[in-house]
Amino acid sequence: MYWVSVFTEAGIFAILALGLDVIWGWGGDFDLMFYGYLALGSYMTFVLSIGKPTPPVQYIIGWHLPVLLAIPLAIVVVVGLAAVIGAIALRNLRGIYFAVTTLGAVSALYLLVENYTPLFDGYNGVYGLINPGQSALNLTYDGYRIVFGVVVLVVLFLAYLLVQRLSRSPYGRMLRSVREDERAAAAYGRPVFWAKYRAYLFGAALAGLTGGLFAIFVSAFNPSAWTPQELLVIYAAILVGGRGNPRGVILGTFVIYVGLIELTRYLPSPASRPDFGPASRQVLIGLMIILMLRFRPEGFFRERPGLDTERKPARQLPSGAVGALAPAATGNPGVPEGQAADEGSSS
Amino acid sequence: MTTFLVTIGVGLSTAAILSLSAVSFTLQYAVSRIANFAHGEFLTIGAYAAYSTQAIFHQNIAAAAVIAAAAGAVAGLVLNTAVIEQFRGRSAITVLIATLGVALIVENVLQMIYGAANVTYSFAQGNLHHVGPFLWTTSDIEVIVSALAVAGLIYLLLQRTRFGKAIRAVSQDRALAQVSGIPARRIVMLTWVLAGAVAGFAGFALADTIGTFGPTLGFSFLLLTITATVAGGLGRPYATLGGALIVGLVIQIAGTYTSSEYELVWAFLLLVVLMLFRPNGVFVRRSSVAVRA
Repeated sequence: MYWVSVFTEAGIFAILALGLDVIWGWGGDFDLMFYGYLALGSYMTFVLSIGKPTPPVQYIIGWHLPVLLAIPLAIVVVVGLAAVIGAIALRNLRGIYFAVTTLGAVSALYLLVENYTPLFDGYNGVYGLINPGQSALNLTYDGYRIVFGVVVLVVLFLAYLLVQRLSRSPYGRMLRSVREDERAAAAYGRPVFWAKYRAYLFGAALAGLTGGLFAIFVSAFNPSAWTPQELLVIYAAILVGGRGNPRGVILGTFVIYVGLIELTRYLPSPASRPDFGPASRQVLIGLMIILMLRFRPEGFFRERPGLDTERKPARQLPSGAVGALAPAATGNPGVPEGQAADEGSSS
Repeated sequence: MTTFLVTIGVGLSTAAILSLSAVSFTLQYAVSRIANFAHGEFLTIGAYAAYSTQAIFHQNIAAAAVIAAAAGAVAGLVLNTAVIEQFRGRSAITVLIATLGVALIVENVLQMIYGAANVTYSFAQGNLHHVGPFLWTTSDIEVIVSALAVAGLIYLLLQRTRFGKAIRAVSQDRALAQVSGIPARRIVMLTWVLAGAVAGFAGFALADTIGTFGPTLGFSFLLLTITATVAGGLGRPYATLGGALIVGLVIQIAGTYTSSEYELVWAFLLLVVLMLFRPNGVFVRRSSVAVRA
């Protein structure tokens, strides 16, 4: 059962990583708000399905919907929030300004949820979503967890197919062209904001879905479950797997979750320092992020070019032709955002 | 009216710490063109260094401040050499992610050493003093006076010394400064040492004013620091002081009339307004150019 739980968790976070990879891998926007969307999706799934709160506990809505209906509604709410944040942050802000704005957004959301108890019962959080539908399916507790794990892996596979399809579509190619050189893409008539905005909403929708699945997985949710640090694990997973490569991202997530949880389980954790184990795990994540960025920013599985270039290799342009398009106004000329630049200048 | 004036007083004390932290952040940006998300960790390191040595120096507040600044300076030196310079020529966002990794490491190493629970200084906060219309504790006054002194020293350093001239040259164009015979690498390194020292001192001042702190002290102050820096304009040390004043007063006033837990929510709203209308700072004329860094 232990392994079922490990793989279910890894599967859930692989879906999240796929969503983040659409925003960061293809869109090129470093989003720090992303874990907030998972949290909101989780909270909404709870309050839509666990019924009215009993007095000392308080939260909004308190409906008694089946989870299969609650999760889609939660996704709608999450996408609504993403529509507001994205409209603010994506319109003119790029790079570090985008990162700063999304960091602000997630901090504000976190403090609001933690301190304003009528929303989701503040620091205590919401709980009570224990194996929804177990009696209807006539399963034992363990049987339900196994079935749930299989459902998660199936959803992950469907999400993978969807993302892969998106990657090879004209829209996916446009998104990556915008990432590589926004001005050139705009000059060719690509709607830069809309391309990024749609990617942002799509990613947030996947985060909302993940939140719903996570709600069933953990059956209780409070602010300590979504500290800003958690998101860095997902970024580490994408960096290890290969930014922009869905298969690599899924593999990276499994490696990080299964590998790290297993590795740090055997670390000695002295009784006087109960925080030692989890803290050492975070240190490893941080080291991994820095080392991957420094020595192998494309990850272990490179982003693969779209289908059209696989069929017919494009003619090599003289290197000056690209340089002429690149704007030199960013402060470090010749280093536009994206992997191509990172590979070229990593020496 | 009295409440309002007391609020202003507390706001000025917050603004003093904020201005130190923000000047440090903006100096780093000026010479390296990166946003250091591990900046908050300088503050945390300074605060913990003072905490670890307070018994040795018999709760001497001046010695603690010097220790905090020294620890911050070492942290600045190490971060620049081990991370920032290693990522030279990479996009600003890549460096940002790397410094976020550094923040994660530092925060958790501190947690491994000191535990996740909050710790408390044993310095005396001093009595309450009426200074003009304001009501300050002794440590509030110490913080405000020392912040003014540090700001003055930085001004003199930047305007009157060869080192300051070199910093200004490097921040405008590192390559050009290099070919003009300025040892750019060393100037950048020394600027990080300076920025680290200022931030370490700010961390001590912050922890002393709050009284109790934990490993997340600095990271939760990062958003306020960035808001103040953006309000002044990234990479502009003097304007940053004004930005810190605005942010310190706004969040204190808004926090007092709603609830102090929501201070950061107000800071975020301020940040959004700034980002939408004045991304280059409130002290420059409005530009329609999109901000890309």
